[in-house]
This record gives sequence, C-alpha cells and structure tokens, in this order.
Amino acid sequence: MQVKFEFAIYDETLDKFELDDKVYLFELDEEQTQTYNLLKDKDLHLYNWFKESDFFLNWIKEEIYPDDIGKKIVLCDVNDITFRGYYFFKVTSADTFYEYFKKLFKIHHETDWQDREEVGEQILEQLMVKRQELIIELKEEEKENDA
Amino acid sequence: MDYKYLNNMLSEMDKDLSSKGMSRRDAMKLAGISGAGLFMGATDVSAMEKDQLPLKKSGVDAKIVIVGGGLAGMSTAARLTLNLKNPNITVIEPEKLSVSYQPGQTLVAAGIWDIDDIKYDRDDFVPTGTKVIEDRVIDFDPTNNQVTTAKGQVIDYDYLIVATGLQLDFERLEGLEEAGRAFSAGDNSRLHKAIGDDGICSIYTAEGAEKTWEQMQKYIEKAKNAKDGKKVQFLFTHPSTPIKCGGAPKKIMYLANARLKEAGARDNAELTFYPNGGAMFGVPEYHDAIHGQFKREGFKWHYRHNLVGVDKARKVAIFDAKWQEKGPFDPIMKDFEVISKHERKEVPYDFLHITPAAVAPREVGESDIGSAKGWVPVNKETLQHVKFNNVFSLGDIAQVPMGKTGGSIRKQYKVLVDNLIAQMEGKKLPSKYAGYTVCPLITDIGTVMLAEFDWTVKPTPSFPLDPTVERWIFWLMKVYALKPMTMYGMLAGKA
Repeated sequence: MQVKFEFAIYDETLDKFELDDKVYLFELDEEQTQTYNLLKDKDLHLYNWFKESDFFLNWIKEEIYPDDIGKKIVLCDVNDITFRGYYFFKVTSADTFYEYFKKLFKIHHETDWQDREEVGEQILEQLMVKRQELIIELKEEEKENDA
Repeated sequence: MDYKYLNNMLSEMDKDLSSKGMSRRDAMKLAGISGAGLFMGATDVSAMEKDQLPLKKSGVDAKIVIVGGGLAGMSTAARLTLNLKNPNITVIEPEKLSVSYQPGQTLVAAGIWDIDDIKYDRDDFVPTGTKVIEDRVIDFDPTNNQVTTAKGQVIDYDYLIVATGLQLDFERLEGLEEAGRAFSAGDNSRLHKAIGDDGICSIYTAEGAEKTWEQMQKYIEKAKNAKDGKKVQFLFTHPSTPIKCGGAPKKIMYLANARLKEAGARDNAELTFYPNGGAMFGVPEYHDAIHGQFKREGFKWHYRHNLVGVDKARKVAIFDAKWQEKGPFDPIMKDFEVISKHERKEVPYDFLHITPAAVAPREVGESDIGSAKGWVPVNKETLQHVKFNNVFSLGDIAQVPMGKTGGSIRKQYKVLVDNLIAQMEGKKLPSKYAGYTVCPLITDIGTVMLAEFDWTVKPTPSFPLDPTVERWIFWLMKVYALKPMTMYGMLAGKA
C-alpha cells in the first residue's frame, strides 16, 4: 500500500512550524498495511505508531531529510488524515478544527458562555504542550559503546 | 434536627400528593426510589444518620479557618466536627442570613414561596466546636498563613478553606453602574435602589426574588389588560460568565410563562431568552429537551446576545450581539477561516429579568490565592489549592468547572473534608470530585426536569427514569424534599 506523507519542520528559535510543500510517497509492506488499517481511524495512534517505528524514522533520515540530522519535524498529513491543526491552529481556524480541539481538550459545558476568542486561546494553551509530544527529532544513529 | 419543620413540610407534600390521588409510597415507587429515599423526609433523614458508618475520628490537631459561612462553608465545618476528635474551627462570615436557602429564590420570584421560607439564621447552624467571627476577610496572606478582616483582626491558621461565594457584578452594565456588586445574602439596598421598580428584576438575591414577583404580577396584569394587540415584552438574559445554577435564568422564564397562562394573559405576552452562549444547555441531551420545550411554549430566543447595558428611561436592553462569518481560505489548514463579528443591539422591554455576571470578590481575585480570573485555582478533583497545600476551596468561588450549584457543593464538601484530614495527617489525598452537578429545571408550576450531569457532559441520572422528561414527581422533590435535605442534612454535615 502506498502512503502519501506531508511534513512540517519545526524552527526551535522561532517556535514555529514551516510546511514542507513536497509530498512524499512510501510503500508499506503487508504487515505495515495491516497495522495502518487498524490505526487509521484512531487519531494520534497512527501518528505515534509512525513516530515510534524504525522503518519510518530510517526512511525519513535516509531518504527525505538526509541533510537535516538534528532537525525536528512533524507529520502534517498521512493520506487523507490531517494533523495540521496541531501546528497551525489559529483562533480563527475553521469550525472543524475548533470543535475537534474543544472536544479533545474537554472544553465543553463551561465554554457555552465563552467567546470563540477565549476558547481559542485555551485551545492554543493546551496545544503548546501537545505539540512538543508530537515532534520527531532526527537524531543520529546511536552507536554501540564498545569500550 | 427540626422534626417539626420536616413534619410540616411532609404534610404539605402529602396534601399535594393526595390532590393527585397518590400516597407518599406511590410517589416513591413512581420515582423509582426505594428504602432511604428523599421523600421519606424526617423518617429518612434519621435513617440516614443511623445508616452512617461508625465514624473513625481523626485525632490530628490543627487550626482550621473557613472563610465564608454559606452553605459550602457551614456544611464543611459541620462535617469536620464529625470527623475530628478535637475540632478547632473558625468560620469568618459577616452575614447573619448567610445560610439562607438560595435554590428557593426562583420559587419566591414566582410567588410559590414567601421570602421567609428561605431565610435562615447562620447561628442556628453553627456546629459544636466551631467559632464564628462576624467579620469579612479583606486580605489573604497564604505565605504567612494569615487572613485579615475588615475590622482589623489578623487571624492565623494552619489550614484554610476558602468558601466566600461569588459576587453579582451589576455595575458592569451601562446604566446600572450605581448598582455596584452584590452578594446573594446581606444588605443589597444599593442594588435594588439602582434597579428601581419599573420592570427590571433579578432573582439572584433574596430581596430581588421578592421584587421579581412584584414586577411579574405587574406586567402579567398589563398583559391581561392589553387591548391594542401589542404584546407585553418579557426579556430574560444569561451573561458571558459562569453563573450560579446555569438553569436559573430559564427557570424564571418558565415560571413567568406559567403565571401568564394561569392569568389567561399568555397570548398578549412575548417571552424571549437572550443567552450569551450558543446553546440552551451544555449537555446535548438537555439542550435538545429544552429546545423542544421552548418551541412547545412558544418562546423566542436569540443566541450569542450578552447584556451590556440598560437604558431605564427608554426601557431598552442593550446587547452585544455576536455572530460569525466565513473568512478567507487558509491554504495551510485547507479550509475557510471563521471571523467573529459583533454589534450593539437595542431591544425594548416591559419586564427584564437580569442574570448578572458572576465574579470573584476582589479580596480573593486580587490576592495570592486567586487566579488571573479571580477564582481560587484548585485541583478540580481534590479541591486542594494548586500552589498552597494547606489551602482548599469549594463552592462558587472554587475554580472548578460546572461547580456553582448546591448540588455540586453536596459532593464537594465531603471530598474536601476527606482530603483536608488526609493532608493534616500527612497522607495521600484519597477523595476525588467527579464534577457531578444537578439542576432541577422547573419547566412549569408542577413539573421539573431533573438535569444531572458531570464532567463527562452526559446525563448522570440518580433515578431509573428518562432524565429529559419533565415530571411532577421531581417538582415535589424540588419544592418539598431538597430544602430539608439541604438545611438539615448538608448543614449537619451528613447528607
């Protein structure tokens, strides 16, 4: 199964994400396809699976960003599943993202009387923490210590 | 315990039941209550006491100061005295009538109860071993474990419980600046002078509830005598802050509707609800039910209208009306942005019920124990202050979602006492508040929808009945059973 990936690169000094406009293709093997199909409807489970998988990390390091070791990246889109909201959400973002994060962060009852601006600020506050969890560091391969 | 009061209440309830051809036992069966149900009143409160597990009192000694002697503060004091061998508790509360029964204000405002039915003297509910200082705390110094009162007393504590309640911020409304801020209890003559007697009212103080009934009768009479086909305008507001009992602004609307129907004047009146929010209720199931009730009763409503002023001379309510428009396309998010817009809108009224914004008292909000928004920031489950381990808070002043009802306090005060004693004993805090709250939403004289829910934002009914259905049996509970449970159960530290 072929999967389309889009990434964003995290600029630590500006604490900002920049979208990489290119789309990258990766061919999952049979076992990986099964896992993908199991996790594709489960929000961040799919994200975390890729984030924790060696095959995926090696592919990024060797083929996508071979010259960017030390950088931090995040997954933006995986086929039609989007994680963009986590990095680019604004108070004015579309209702789909706004409602999604309201639910994710359990900002429910009390916000019925609040303005969108106030709820949006609350979402952004919670996203600051969440974003850090999603960042993938492109580290150099750890070498065995022979000593 | 005042058995005489309870027996009177029960005999009133029995009269109500027998007018419907039912016994108390039938009513209990209908409500799905068995054994120690609320409807057994006096018999059951004593059963409840007997059913309590033998108390294992803690021998830990410490000076506990409770700031605020309302329902939250006094119930907590009572429960602490039941759980400590040598209680050393001081309650600081300036108002004599601080424990008055606030949930009854809606009933007073609709002429169902008298103001005397809800007035209670704090000193009748002071537990043994608890000292009351009749004063108001004006400064909190949690670093030095001290509070200072308006009369200049500096009081030390080992553990502090903040239960000051909230203030009603009428002064933020243009045209009502002179109304100031008010507590539900106490001398609110300044507020009532500012509001006047020309159609503006608010049930959020006891006197305000009484005045609401006066105004309601006046404008029902006007509707009754309306001959020119012009409808008498009844407006009801819901502000842009958390409030005590989120259902109350609607309860008074339903009751005005009931009284208008009763007077045969409903066709000459228009009832309109102006909430700041975009829904009738935060729980979708209850939102849907209320939406249906509004349509059935012919109410009008306009979401996202926040009352910002009143022109008393012109009898015009001024709202900040908000809406959203489709903004530009965001190429990164691949969707259109949403732009918030707002404008001032003037709406003429004959009768205007104001639900005021609720705020933390300045002495709390501007002190180290308050958060940026004024409320006392606590761990919402343990009720322990986020910065000071020897400070706890509950009730309206605690920064706990959905926590500003008597029903919430009924759960919170037990959690707080368990956790405070554990903290005093150097143990891990054992109890957690799960966000339970209850709103007996009066939808007519004789029916109530018992909206119970918690942080799951799902209905959490205590009875095996559809919670979205309006029931007479819950009306009986609201009118006859909840007050004795509060006044003689909670304030005794037991219910």
